[in-house]
Amino acid sequence: MHTVYSRINNVSAMLSTCVMVLLAAISISSYFLVADPKGSIAVSSIQVFPGNARRYANKNQDFAFVNFNVTADLSPLFNWNTKQLFLYVSAEYENKRGVKNEVVIWDRIVRRKEDAQLSVAGRNKYAFRELSTSFKGAAPAHYTLKYNVMPYVGVLTYGEAARTADPVPFPERQELS
Amino acid sequence: MFADELKTLRRLGVRHVLLQVLNFVSVLASGLMIWKGLGLVTNTESPIVVVLSGSMEPAFYRGDLLFLTNPTDARYQTGDITVYKIPGADIPIVHRVLETHDFPPNNKGAVAASPLVQKQYLLTKGDNNAIDDIELYQGLEWLERKHIVGKVRGFLPYVGYVTIAMNDFPQLKYALLGGLGLLALIQRE
Repeated sequence: MHTVYSRINNVSAMLSTCVMVLLAAISISSYFLVADPKGSIAVSSIQVFPGNARRYANKNQDFAFVNFNVTADLSPLFNWNTKQLFLYVSAEYENKRGVKNEVVIWDRIVRRKEDAQLSVAGRNKYAFRELSTSFKGAAPAHYTLKYNVMPYVGVLTYGEAARTADPVPFPERQELS
Repeated sequence: MFADELKTLRRLGVRHVLLQVLNFVSVLASGLMIWKGLGLVTNTESPIVVVLSGSMEPAFYRGDLLFLTNPTDARYQTGDITVYKIPGADIPIVHRVLETHDFPPNNKGAVAASPLVQKQYLLTKGDNNAIDDIELYQGLEWLERKHIVGKVRGFLPYVGYVTIAMNDFPQLKYALLGGLGLLALIQRE
């Protein structure tokens, strides 16, 4: 009855139950530790140039180059169950044919609370191109700063920290001289 | 070597062995039922996946367990972490959505029952990769909804490493399966 085997069995069952309950409690606690920090984003300049896409080396298409300023204090998002924040700036616009586009132009991973004070004057990290190859006739775009809170254990949450007050129109394409 | 076990088997009789086999099969069947039931509720073919590569570090490491859903009333958005499977590729990939392009419904008088039906182009990228995934799409230019298995909703670290270990060391798998089967057969209660 009190064999080594049954003792090991009991101890490991107890241990795994405790760990499971603890993990569940931690992940549930995230629902109560909510924060909704807000910041600001502004676009300082946009330029559109023709270029070659990576896929079709001989096909010309428009590339937009966006300079933006982001300030936000996202440190309230850090609680004991926050492993990291994934921050991203995305452009939202509708093109001439009514296709709704969302394009991430910049992102950053924040792993410490001290780094969550965001003050960035940046430009797009990823190529910003249009599906129809040209930004001509596309509606003005909104730019947003969004975040994804990634926990040590539990549910991933998303939020929006900033959005441009007015949509920013795309300029005419400039030819490369 | 197994003389003792064989002896107990003989003593317990065919009926008992059959009963244990039945028990074993019902455990397997209920496991399958739970898996498929979860799949129905979450609307994905595999509601739980194990991370196999380091392309989403530092968010997900090898062996982390991910819980997926694929709700019919929500479109995919930028920042979502999707699991997709390209036809012809055998391993599903866990990467973050970088671009979405939602096409307007075509005006044939039909109303889409769910946002998942409407045409959407997606581009993904691994957090730990420098460039987007076009090379991984095997000739496709964009990812579409039919390629997506689901999006990541929940996260449990390390637990899935057991399956990776079993894949890396197949002996472990057979030892575990054999041990479990033997235990189920010769257990007395």
